[in-house]
Amino acid sequence: MSVDYDVVIVGGGPAGSTAAAYLAKAGLSVAVFEGDNFPRPHVGESLVPATTRCLLETGAMDKVEAAGFPKKYGAAWTATTSPNINADLAATLTHELGTADILFKERDQPGTDRDYTFHVDRSKFDLILLKHAESLGAKVFQGIRVLRADFDDPEKVTVTARMGRHEVGVTAKMVIDASGRQTFLGRQLGTKESDPVFDQYAIHTWFEGLDRSEVANSPEKVDYIYIHFLPITDTWVWQIPITDTVTSIGVVTQKKQFAEANLDREAFFWKFVESRPDLAAALKKTKRVTDFKVEADYSYAMKEICGDRYVLIGDAARFVDPIFSSGVSVALNSARLVTDDILKAFANDDFSKASFATYEKTIRNGVRNWYEFISVYYRLNILFTTFVADPRYRLDVIKMLQGEMYDGGKPEALRVMQETVAAVEADPTHLWHPHLGNLRVAPVDA
Amino acid sequence: MTLDEVTPRIMKFISESFLEGDPKGELTETTPLLEWDVLNSMNSALLLNYLREELHVDVPLASINAANFRTVAAISLLVSGLTADSAEGV
Repeated sequence: MSVDYDVVIVGGGPAGSTAAAYLAKAGLSVAVFEGDNFPRPHVGESLVPATTRCLLETGAMDKVEAAGFPKKYGAAWTATTSPNINADLAATLTHELGTADILFKERDQPGTDRDYTFHVDRSKFDLILLKHAESLGAKVFQGIRVLRADFDDPEKVTVTARMGRHEVGVTAKMVIDASGRQTFLGRQLGTKESDPVFDQYAIHTWFEGLDRSEVANSPEKVDYIYIHFLPITDTWVWQIPITDTVTSIGVVTQKKQFAEANLDREAFFWKFVESRPDLAAALKKTKRVTDFKVEADYSYAMKEICGDRYVLIGDAARFVDPIFSSGVSVALNSARLVTDDILKAFANDDFSKASFATYEKTIRNGVRNWYEFISVYYRLNILFTTFVADPRYRLDVIKMLQGEMYDGGKPEALRVMQETVAAVEADPTHLWHPHLGNLRVAPVDA
Repeated sequence: MTLDEVTPRIMKFISESFLEGDPKGELTETTPLLEWDVLNSMNSALLLNYLREELHVDVPLASINAANFRTVAAISLLVSGLTADSAEGV
């Protein structure tokens, strides 16, 4: 039976455009329907090195490099420091609770040929990837919103899109949902489940002229991603360089904290940032250049991430929390991982759910590791940094921070972190007991 | 490492790091470190780092509690016991 395209992809963000690139390179006919007109702003501006392999395989890396995005060599954490240590020790703050940093190059990563990744202006980055997919032969339709997918015909899927005042049906052998947090198929199929624990809320904006050295652990580390712990339960600030002079700052907290504060976005942002006077002072000298934006309705999973003639990738499949910059990495790697199964499905002309079993197993393993890492991180709170400082666990922590989550079982450091949390919870006289975060998550299947 | 070897080194580290050298000589083996907030959760990471790098002792993370860290004597007992364990393992 003839169809309009082999594959229709809903969504032209990094997941959709990367899947389009892989599949178009493999010779399939691919159409991408993107509801917005690019470029458009998007949150999720910091990458991890696990994206490198995907960008190299699709051939997009040269274009990403040419765009001149700030290079990201490492990650750092800061907290308010305790008053009763001497100056010599204060100079070695990487061992103070709540303070740490890592370089990606400390650990060789398979498939990764450079010791940095990028901080990106997503409006530019996402456009580069979408144009790259188009250059490989994918048909890209921007400003076209997909309304529904019809699976009734056992031989094909029909996707209905709005074009101007008309609705148009497009047929394909299968559909990929890469619609991001809009979760197109999860909503249509009723398979979306909100996370019971992570009810997070983020408020973020861009500042011009932040002197990053004022809040850096040391001067050469100004362009790392910074995670600033606030002395407020389960609350932290991201600091991501967007250009030489523009810095993205976001406050992530529990949604109930925002509701209880009963303040407008701007007042709430500053009230929370001012709990870290050093950070607030540095930010007050800058100029805010974008409106405050909010991300709520935060964390969810899907009962099904594949089925007959469909797969879900990227944020459309799962979203937890942005603490480790996992979003774009999950997007690109889920596109990479699903490609093999899709090509086999075409080779066998079999698009049943079972055809995507390898993808389902691998991506569930990966996002379960991410989820457990994020869960134990919130429970460890500033204690997390002791694992970074501990040579027994450091490389394994870096492996997770590099985004290597998909192959193999649970990382050893993750297991030890979970055991440590259990031990500290069980012992009220443990010195670290008062520092445990409030978000408690029982280990669950992803 | 014996208890006699470990104790003065831990005394010295705590004195220099957390008491600015303890100019009045107040620190003893039985000074209640936690009650007096000489040692606390925040600077405990620095002590652990010293034990790891200078005395080559990895304290199990579950052992960092009041019973083991209340005094220099208690810490020294823990550390000498851990070095004995690792020596037996060789």
